Amino acid sequence: MPGVLAKKLALTKERLYGLIGLAIVLALVPVFLGFNFYYVLLATNVMLAASLVAAWNIIGGYAGQLDLAASAYMALGAVVTGHLLASYGLTPWIGMFLGAGLAVTVAVLVGYPTFRFGIKEVWYALLTSALVVILMRIYYLIYGSFETYIPHMEPEWLYLSFRRYEVYYYLLAAMVVIIIWINLKIKSSKLGYYLAAIREDELAAEALGIDVRRYKLYALMIYAALAGIIGGIYITLTGILSYRLFDPWLGIVTAVMGIVGGLGSIEGAVLAAVILRSLEEYLRGAIGATYPGSHLLVYGLILIIVGVLKPEGLASLIRYVKNKLFYRKREEVK
Amino acid sequence: MPQPILRVEDVVKRFGGIIAVNHMSMEVYKNEILGLIGPNGAGKTTLFNCITGVYKPEEGRIIFQNEDITGLPPHVIIQKGIARTWQKVRPFKKLTVLEAVTVGALLRIPDVDEARETAKEILEFIGIDKSRWNRLGSEITLIEHKLVDLARALATRPKLILLDEVAAGLRPHEMDELAKVLLKVREEYKLTLIVVEHVMRFVMGLSERIVVMHEGKKIAEGRPEEVANNPRVVEAYLGTKPL
Repeated sequence: MPGVLAKKLALTKERLYGLIGLAIVLALVPVFLGFNFYYVLLATNVMLAASLVAAWNIIGGYAGQLDLAASAYMALGAVVTGHLLASYGLTPWIGMFLGAGLAVTVAVLVGYPTFRFGIKEVWYALLTSALVVILMRIYYLIYGSFETYIPHMEPEWLYLSFRRYEVYYYLLAAMVVIIIWINLKIKSSKLGYYLAAIREDELAAEALGIDVRRYKLYALMIYAALAGIIGGIYITLTGILSYRLFDPWLGIVTAVMGIVGGLGSIEGAVLAAVILRSLEEYLRGAIGATYPGSHLLVYGLILIIVGVLKPEGLASLIRYVKNKLFYRKREEVK
Repeated sequence: MPQPILRVEDVVKRFGGIIAVNHMSMEVYKNEILGLIGPNGAGKTTLFNCITGVYKPEEGRIIFQNEDITGLPPHVIIQKGIARTWQKVRPFKKLTVLEAVTVGALLRIPDVDEARETAKEILEFIGIDKSRWNRLGSEITLIEHKLVDLARALATRPKLILLDEVAAGLRPHEMDELAKVLLKVREEYKLTLIVVEHVMRFVMGLSERIVVMHEGKKIAEGRPEEVANNPRVVEAYLGTKPL
């Protein structure tokens, strides 16, 4: 029934306009950057972080699980796409979905027992953090410290092998918009309500008939799949396959950005990713060369300040601005 | 006697060396309000948790509507029609009142919009003012929490609700209000209620029948005034009379 499907795909007007507005802004960014090679690459990196944080928001923000394995799922997507492309010439358009498939498989293999035995909070964080390292070692055992380079291949569109960064920027920007849309759809669906209930109080959620394990696993699978696809695009950008793709730091940073953004708020998460990632690059450029590592110090300081002053994250700031801009009566029930 | 809706048969639950529930049996009849009382540590909440699937009893059976539900997980128990509220309120702090009740309604109504409508009906019926529906769980008062908790449970369309110390912490007039709501709810939804309670005035006024637990066992059963004058109950609460 197309009618039902259309209804399932539709967003509320406010959200739809917001998303279209975002798409237009993102589309114009390279123009404002004057198609400068370096700046577009930076913008691409910002989009990469934003899309990853948006995917993380599903497990971390909505389901409330402090997952630190974003880079593991992303890297799985990347190595599957990359090796199939480099060794067999398989187009990344297919490879990224196979990569996402592997990411989901690993997510289920790890997630099922994890949720079955009720591992949560710091223990879940430790477990997922270890997952990145474990996968890194496995990759290392198979491929060693060799780096595999993906050669330039024609036709460009088929192999996502472009000589300019704009296309990658647009691919990842499109991912950001798509993943935000997925987030919004989840939020207003039964899954979203159930995940929110699980995040707030697992015991109460279960007493209302929510199969906590199953819904956590759904959230984990969606997140892993999205991270895998992002990884597939990312590897066509860098073209270098290495065990370093399994980067524990990236997994932590992704969670940090999501938390600074305000748990459960997709707007906040994406905004935090954009601001923090840009800031990190700026600080690296501005002071990182003079005092190596100092950009991380400043970065850490900013996180502490946010933690102390705005524990609700950027989301509370966004809400404040929204309420000022479009004054709505809070009492009114939508 | 009408058909019992719930039968607790010889249930035992131990925690290490402590026997919290010790060969406890009782029956609950359709559409009644059963008060479950007893001094602190009598095992009332543990028994609750056995019935709702939070704990698995070591011995005994729990039969609900002629079906053995012993040891089923909580999310399955509620599908069978046993809902509960919590002794210590467990609000969804970052969800609005309406959203919290919608979560409950989604159990039987998969469509979010329809579930929201049902949630609204229930909130209206329970008597939570419309102006409070968009408040977050962290912003409402204790009595509202208790009512939302009840509404959340009601939204799952249960046949039996277990109320764990609903009156705790409430002011006397709020208790009266709550008792009225409970009676109204039972009438409208054809419910059976089990009320675990410490506040005697509340439970004596509300219940039609009372079961008294002490040290994990049932020591008395009957109409409120019978139970109140039962020497064993007095002894359990106050200790033996000095000679």
